[in-house]
Amino acid sequence: MNALIVAGLVLGSIYAISALGLVLTYTASRVFNFAHGAIAYFIAVFYYWLHTRHGWSVPAAAFVSIGVVSPLLGLFLWAALFRRLAYAPPIVRFVSTVGLWVALPAIVKVAFPFTKSEIFEPEGFIEGSPSVFHIFGVAINANQLVVLIAAAVVAAGLSLLIRGTPLGLSIRATVDSPRVAGISGMNTSLVTASSWMLGTTLAGLAGVLLAPILGLADIQFTLLLVASLGAVVIARMTSLPLAFGGALLIGLVQEVSRKWLPNSGVLAKGFRPSIPFIVMLVFLLAYQGLQRERFEVDTRATSQEHPEAPAPPPLRGWRAAIGPLFVAGVLFSVPLWLSDFWVGVVSQGMALAILFLTFTVVTGEGGMVSLGQMTLAGIGGFTAAKLATDSGWPIGWALLTGALVAVPVGMLVAGLSLRLGDLYLALATLAFSQLVENLVFARDDFDNFGTGVEIGRPGFFGIDFDDPALFYLLLVVVFCVVALLVLNLRRGTSGLVFASMRSSEPASATIGISIVRSKMLAFAASAFIAGLGGGLYAVAIGRAAPASFNLLTGIVWLAIVVTWGVRSIVGALIAGIIFVVAPQLVSLYLSEGWTDVPTMLFGLGAIALAREPRGVLFDVVNQHRLRRLRRQTRREERAAGATAPVPA
Amino acid sequence: MRDATLLSADHVTVRFGGVVALDDVSLQAGGGAVVGLVGPNGAGKTTLFGVLSGLVRPRGGRVLLRGADVTRASPQRRSHLGLARTFQRIELFTELTVREHLVVAHRAHERRDRRLLTDLAGLGGRPSPREREVVDRLLDLLGLAPMADRPAALLPLGTGRLVEVGRALATEPAVVLLDEPTSGLDVEETRRLARALERTRADLGVAIVLVEHNVDFVLELAEHVTVLDFGKIITTGKPSAIRANEAVQAAYLGSTVAAEAP
Repeated sequence: MNALIVAGLVLGSIYAISALGLVLTYTASRVFNFAHGAIAYFIAVFYYWLHTRHGWSVPAAAFVSIGVVSPLLGLFLWAALFRRLAYAPPIVRFVSTVGLWVALPAIVKVAFPFTKSEIFEPEGFIEGSPSVFHIFGVAINANQLVVLIAAAVVAAGLSLLIRGTPLGLSIRATVDSPRVAGISGMNTSLVTASSWMLGTTLAGLAGVLLAPILGLADIQFTLLLVASLGAVVIARMTSLPLAFGGALLIGLVQEVSRKWLPNSGVLAKGFRPSIPFIVMLVFLLAYQGLQRERFEVDTRATSQEHPEAPAPPPLRGWRAAIGPLFVAGVLFSVPLWLSDFWVGVVSQGMALAILFLTFTVVTGEGGMVSLGQMTLAGIGGFTAAKLATDSGWPIGWALLTGALVAVPVGMLVAGLSLRLGDLYLALATLAFSQLVENLVFARDDFDNFGTGVEIGRPGFFGIDFDDPALFYLLLVVVFCVVALLVLNLRRGTSGLVFASMRSSEPASATIGISIVRSKMLAFAASAFIAGLGGGLYAVAIGRAAPASFNLLTGIVWLAIVVTWGVRSIVGALIAGIIFVVAPQLVSLYLSEGWTDVPTMLFGLGAIALAREPRGVLFDVVNQHRLRRLRRQTRREERAAGATAPVPA
Repeated sequence: MRDATLLSADHVTVRFGGVVALDDVSLQAGGGAVVGLVGPNGAGKTTLFGVLSGLVRPRGGRVLLRGADVTRASPQRRSHLGLARTFQRIELFTELTVREHLVVAHRAHERRDRRLLTDLAGLGGRPSPREREVVDRLLDLLGLAPMADRPAALLPLGTGRLVEVGRALATEPAVVLLDEPTSGLDVEETRRLARALERTRADLGVAIVLVEHNVDFVLELAEHVTVLDFGKIITTGKPSAIRANEAVQAAYLGSTVAAEAP
């Protein structure tokens, strides 16, 4: 028992170091860094690269990686990315860091190829077998002692910094109001830059300390991120002491629970990774009663400050039909000019394109960032596969039921967090998806040693869709139908309501729009599409498998959809096809070193293009129409003549 | 007051941290009346609007809207009970055209914002006859008809304020709160706004509460004026009485001197 408590405190201390970094950067810059775990991973790999591959001594490797490279990485990321995000619309802020979360591990794998093949046991700071001390009768080894001391030093140092130094005062002032702090002569850039440097240093330290405990794979560092997220929710994003205590609590529960856990079954595997999320959900529930203002750090940073370029009015008449007809024509003709193999590949892409329309609705229209859409897709996929294969339902009905099952699940998650604000929605969907992944999809009857549940091809109206070309055409038809529904939604009153909410929630509320209900409706529609797309994707692959719907896949999906235009239907289509085709091309024509390049590009694309939520396509297609419209408006103003408007 | 009281704030108190933003402030607005609310910067006018429209929770006191206690009601509930407002720091829907601003407001008023299935079926975009009538009349009244199909984000600030007024009136409210509607408007636009407000008040019996820095505009339009300073009511009465009041002059003069000091 004592040993478990010590191990729990050690793990909790590492989480605490990471959580403090996350809170610090969020409070100072209002950018919530979903890439925090990825940064920890990067630094940890760099440290072991220096130490094990190049034989640097422990102090030298630790100093260079944590003390030099970490802050430099923070400075670089701040200058290149985070600096521009502070006043960007919330979606852009979320998605950019999600893009970094996707890109960084891929960059690590490309730059340090050994991380893929070499499975090695990272050591702690103390080499060899560490000596064991007995403190108050409790056995504790030197490595654990190093972690505890590090956490204590970080906590003490940070509270000294915040309370006792000019920089700390500036950070506190910047948290309250960056603009006022700026006006009163503080160098807010210096403040946010140094807090980013400090934040990445803490991430790096946590990463290096964590590697001996969890190993050196990128998935482990996702766990570091999520454990910190649990602590950050307890801290309501801002309180450093609460974040520290919360992180210790999560670490303790994770280790001490070992004593009661069974040796096999889904709980043995899935319970401990789920603890941060259980804690997070408990606190989200507990915080429901509090007013929303308590949760909003950034009420002042609305989209009004840097409004997006307005969309030109939609084309009317025959002009409006050209684009869709052309796209449909190309899609339907694919079986004529591609081999059966490639039709099969593109079919998977079409199924994903249908699935990706879920992002078009929830993020593009609803303005919410959900990190749980892949799990809703998985729920649709597994439900359909179970019903079709185990219960013998017709596949069409199984798919529809899968989609319908995803709806109440999605609404439950959204209902838990929507009242608390957008960031909490992102965190709650993440928590939900991880719980389902660890506790449901990991069950033996779903997981089936990784192979999942098989599902066949549907057949109805006397047509057997076993034929690749026919199945492909079925997917194209379904895509067109779902796309039409999304278009209808956008053109109807709901589209106006969503656009209003994305621009200004206070103004929307005061004209009588219920923000929570409208977002719930958007979420319900997106859950249905996710469930349907997940089912079809499973059919296209031939099985519903946990790996198709896990978190790291889901964030790549989000990144690539955002790159091609999260508000664009054609964007979802291209994203779906590229997600499947690009890795296929790489594996066919390029060497193994290129495997992670597509993922890296998807992540970097999301970072670069997040500033335009409508994506690449919008930029290209609409820029010149918008310019023309501006010129026209200006001409008319001049023509209006004598009563020129008074500039503000 | 001509009609029964439509909106009233009773002894409202608001604190931000240790700062008392509003201290025991009461205000009434009746149908067909224009009530002016003036005071130097930081007097608490916008905070009071926040309390009235449900965006700020008061520490103490009550808000009554058409007889119902709405102190804890959400902004959208108050909107459905007949309250509308504009914002001092303009809050336009940057992706919508001028007409769409009014349309979405009227549809929220008609509760058409929640018919997801109708929208999915492609039947949600049609305007109702009532909507067409209300929106067209307001666009004409405010002189916005020529730019009705322009994206609102491309408009100059003054026109944007008129769009906000149109959006508020499109919910067919019983009470409108206008937060500095004339700032950024040119002479012609100000005249048009005054005419539109006068028509709205007289024809529809709407109660208007007006926060303004343009004191002449308030004193001309309002029949009752309340003066706030440092979160307290310093006086309230007819425009003519306010113009002569020494405390008001002191408050304004004081703030002017402070503002001009280096």
